[in-house]
Amino acid sequence: MALGIGIREGFRTITRNSSLFFLSLLVAAISLFLLSIFALVTVNLYTLVRNLDEKIEIIAFLDDHADAMNLKASIQKINGVKEVIFVSSQQALTDLQREMKSSREVLNVFEDNPLPASLRIKLQPSLRNGRGLAEISDKVMLLKGVRETIFGGELVDQLKRITNIITIFDLVLLVIIILSVVFVIFQTIKLTIFARAPEIEVMRLVGASDSFIAVPFTFQGLIQGLIGGVIAFVLTMITVRIGSSFFNQLYFPRMWFFVANVLAGVVLGMIGSGIALRKFLK
Amino acid sequence: MISFDKVTKTYQRNWVALEDATFEVAKGEFIFITGPTGAGKSTLLKLVYKEEDPTKGTIKVLDQNLRFLKKKDIPSFRRKIGVIFQDFKLLPDRTLEENVAFALEVIDTPPRDLRKKLMDILTYLRLSHKRYFYPYQLSGGEQQKIAIARALVRDPYILLADEPTGNLDIKSSHDILDILLDINYKGTTVLMATHNQNLLKRTKKRTLKIEEGKLVDNQ
Repeated sequence: MALGIGIREGFRTITRNSSLFFLSLLVAAISLFLLSIFALVTVNLYTLVRNLDEKIEIIAFLDDHADAMNLKASIQKINGVKEVIFVSSQQALTDLQREMKSSREVLNVFEDNPLPASLRIKLQPSLRNGRGLAEISDKVMLLKGVRETIFGGELVDQLKRITNIITIFDLVLLVIIILSVVFVIFQTIKLTIFARAPEIEVMRLVGASDSFIAVPFTFQGLIQGLIGGVIAFVLTMITVRIGSSFFNQLYFPRMWFFVANVLAGVVLGMIGSGIALRKFLK
Repeated sequence: MISFDKVTKTYQRNWVALEDATFEVAKGEFIFITGPTGAGKSTLLKLVYKEEDPTKGTIKVLDQNLRFLKKKDIPSFRRKIGVIFQDFKLLPDRTLEENVAFALEVIDTPPRDLRKKLMDILTYLRLSHKRYFYPYQLSGGEQQKIAIARALVRDPYILLADEPTGNLDIKSSHDILDILLDINYKGTTVLMATHNQNLLKRTKKRTLKIEEGKLVDNQ
């Protein structure tokens, strides 16, 4: 009964102050959209960094008559090695041919296959840096049958430094954006509550309990957050659609973004109206 | 029913609104609280329905020491007290009926009881034909009657009226006073703050006179 009246009053708040409600809704939608876009950038940045990290490896070229399988087993036993992949000289040639489709003639210069067989050595994440690479590489070089190793070394460290800076920058910005979004949403909800100040005064006067007064506003916050979240999600989807023509392989877990947008909207809306109201009822 | 014992209310910057006030109101009394504007009449009424807390002294209302009334118990305490104001405090976007029904909905009245109480009070105040009107379509006197209806519809023990005729012409003022007297006759204790001397002369009732926060006359 009381909840029914609360929801009816909530609808009344929305319809009687519709311009204020739509303003507040718009602000919530745009704020959440901003947050969503930034989350998208962050998620993609992390995916990119992780992919780059995965690509850090040592390539060990083998002598012509080396026992590849034996070597592979020995390398696998080295502490810090995650995975070893054998690439035969034939495989290397096929890969190269695929990569150089347009200028295949270059390869025809050679009579035999000039490429040696190799082992691609993937490391544990903690060793994916200049020192780790050098350390493992030294151990691999001691093995009989390994002709040469190559790895990024210095370059990897530089890349790591850059991605670290970008990541920290991104996180700081994310925190700032989250705080401003929360602040802006709270403030606009406060406006809609202040617009109903006379009603709250009358409610208190006639003995309405605080929770009775809170229901309509919490409901309004919920509706606003819900609709705002859905709008923010749709805007994000449109942005992704446009963005994917500039960046290929944009990582956009649709379901997660939908749930996160709506949930963020609803939670912020409800907490926002709760906090604004609490200040008011004091 | 109401007792003030050496009650002092001080606002910010040591502004004393009410000083050392002691008086008692018995059940079924009608009392005028009078004095110039800013003397402390509204403060006194606010202390009765615990919109304000006293700085010093003890207030008892309906056998309850207000000092020990918890915040969560204030709503149920206020349901026993009706309050009306000079500016009516009606909700402008609701009809008369909705304005009055609001006071009943807040306390979870079943719909059937609600309709009956609503019709009874609107008939008593001769306003049932205007129940779908909005406040702006009514005169000041009629708006105040709606405020009275809202306060009375829950059968309060005490009715507090803070300058209820302040915005009304002479005839409407008399009408409102007559209603308040009738309500009192039916058993409700009424405290009415006013500085309208004409009204005071109209009926012989006990009067508390306040000047600059002090109770100067209690007869």
